[in-house]
Order: sequence, then structure tokens, then C-alpha cells
Amino acid sequence: MAVNFFGQFLVELGIVTSDALVDAINLQDKNNLRFGEMAAAMGLVTPADIQRAHSAQMSRDMKLGNLLVEMGILTPAQRDNVVVRQKNTHLYIGEALVQNGALTSEALQKHLDEFNAGQARYISNGIELPIASASNHVWEMTADLTRKMITRVLALPFHPGTCTLTTNIAPNFMLAAMDLSGDVEARYFLSVSEGLQKSVARAILGEESVEYEPAEVLEDTVMEFANIVCGNVAAKASQMGVIINITPPVTVHLPKKGLPVPDGHTALSFPIYFVGGDTMEMILLIKN
Amino acid sequence: MKKVLVVDDSLSVARQLAKIIAESGDFLYIGHAKNGAEAIKMNHTEDPEIICMDMNMPGMDGLTALRTLSAMDTEVKVVMVTSLGGVGDKFTEAIKLGAKNVISKPFEAGNVLRILREL
Repeated sequence: MAVNFFGQFLVELGIVTSDALVDAINLQDKNNLRFGEMAAAMGLVTPADIQRAHSAQMSRDMKLGNLLVEMGILTPAQRDNVVVRQKNTHLYIGEALVQNGALTSEALQKHLDEFNAGQARYISNGIELPIASASNHVWEMTADLTRKMITRVLALPFHPGTCTLTTNIAPNFMLAAMDLSGDVEARYFLSVSEGLQKSVARAILGEESVEYEPAEVLEDTVMEFANIVCGNVAAKASQMGVIINITPPVTVHLPKKGLPVPDGHTALSFPIYFVGGDTMEMILLIKN
Repeated sequence: MKKVLVVDDSLSVARQLAKIIAESGDFLYIGHAKNGAEAIKMNHTEDPEIICMDMNMPGMDGLTALRTLSAMDTEVKVVMVTSLGGVGDKFTEAIKLGAKNVISKPFEAGNVLRILREL
């Protein structure tokens, strides 16, 4: 099991059909009011207030509730009350399936327990970062999931090194890169030696030997591993309320002197030491 | 045997899925498209019964291709196979657009075959 959400888990295992899930999502959409809708239902704002705030949001990167406070339409206490009411009346996907008759309450609890047990392997362990930023929890999770996927997908024994700040991204046999955008902006790099590339290829292709594989296929396996990690990072981030979009992976060829970290960016290096002496480096080039 | 088309920009994923499908004995692997546009073309020329499709691809992505296939009113059943399966919004969009299931990467052969057999 990868990083999932509960609805996907139920459909993937054939416990509910995709049609039943769509019906439950539609019920959620009707029941779970967005901030503006809830504030209006509580009589705190008018449709005209919401329209003014939405117009202001076009040029301001702020949540609607905070913007309504800044515009003097809501007090901070009223904003918090709206959020509390949203939480208290939130209909979860499992509850929606029960209400629609697609699941019994007993089955819901049983499958929820199974789901939580499967997801427990992706609970983040603490990682110390040498920077203080509001997104540290996202970068810690990214590093942690990279390590967990090395165990889960590559099945290679390793021990993680200490995260350090770096001013230059060093060249290596190959680097796979993916861009992360949305609530955070960064480039994710996986830097591997020739030997490690073959280890990744053996694991991804499920072959004992990759000696005769074309270079294109060997490179692709490292890019695919980066893709699996970053997709699961996006999924975990969405559980944390952080939106991350990813682009398809690419191979990056650096000059011999490496790539100096550009102005306005911070680069974090996470070395990963493998049995046998190979080292993988995961680098996050973060836009400040 | 049901004919299966694989759509993924990754050569290694296409190889993994082709192997799982071909060795199952229940399905016929008919080929590999590298993006959504190729998938739509091959859906027309190869007439698959099942498409296993990635979401995150250069050129036309998987959700755009799924939207196009749904609009074309074909009989083909689409299963998304993606590292983004756990992203709630992406999953919901795929299911609402008519995907029969969404398999997250990393996937297991047994899970993929069980889902394909249930279609």
C-alpha cells in the first residue's frame, strides 16, 4: 500500500464500487460547506461580502477567513467560530458511505482500522533540518518518505546521514529531478552513482541482472523511483493540508564543477549511505 | 482474452505492467503509449478493452486523456496507475471522469491483476 486516502483504499480493495464512492463524494459536497458558505449560513456575511473578498483574493494569497477579518467584515472570534462549525459538521467519506447504505457502521470501523494500520508505516519520523522555515514539516516528510520508499521499493539496507546546507549541487553519474509547486516551490533531486543506478534498476524492473539493459532504461528506473517518492510526497502533503503539484521526472546533467545554488534559493542535502559503500544524495533546492 | 493497452511515459513502468499482464494468462498486452495523445490514437487503432494509464505525463496528461476518452463514449475501461493516486483531489477527479479504479505506485502484481479481473 502507498500513501492513500480512505476512499481510494476502499475502491482499490473492491469493498465499495467507484460509483458508490462518487455518490458518497457528491453527498460530502452537498453537506460540507466551504468557509464562505458556512459564514453565510451562520448569518455573518452577505453574498456581496463574499464576492468582494473573492475579488480581493485574486491579488492576495490569503485564506478567505483571514481576508474577511482583514477587511473588517468578520472578527477573529467569528472566523474561528466558522472554522469550528465546519469541523463539527464535516461529513467524512466513510460516514457518507454509511449514510448512502454502501457500508455498514461495523464494516466502516473494521476497514478504517485496517487502513490506519497500513498507513502507519508512512508516519513521519523526526528529521533535524539546519534551517528554520514555515515549510520544514514538508521537507522533513519528503526526506522521511524518500528513506521509507528506499526500504519499501528498493529493499536496500542503508543508514541516513545528517542533513546539511549546501551551496553547490555536485555532479554524479546521474541526477533525476522533479519540480514541486503549489503551496511550496522546490526542485527534488536524486543523485546516484553508476553502481547505485544498477541497484535501483534491478529493484524497479524486478530483474537479477541489468547488465544488458540500455542506458535509457537504467536512467528511467531512477526517474521512476523519484516519481514514486514525489507522488507519495504529494499525497502525504495533501493529508497535511498542503497542496503540492509535481511535473514528470527528468534527467539532469551537471557540469563538472556542479551547479551553484542560485540566489533566492536554499539547498538541503540528505546523504544516504548504503551497505557496500555506495551513497545516494537527495537534494531539495527550495525557493525562498 | 481482454486486450490491455498501457499508457505511461516511463519505460520501466511499461515493462513492469507488460510483464504482469502477459504472464497472467488472462489478458493480452497489446502495446504501450507514452502519453495521452498516443493513447487516444492507439485506442482507435488497437481497440483495447482495458487501458492502464498514468496521470503525470509530458504532453497530454492522463486526466486530460481520460476526459477525452469519456467524451468519445468508447466502451474501453480505464484504470489509472499513478504515484498521485493518494492525492484526494486527483483520485476524485479520475473517478468522476469515469476511471474504474485508481492504483497507487508502488503497485503489487497481485493487486493489479485482481483489479483488472474485477472489471
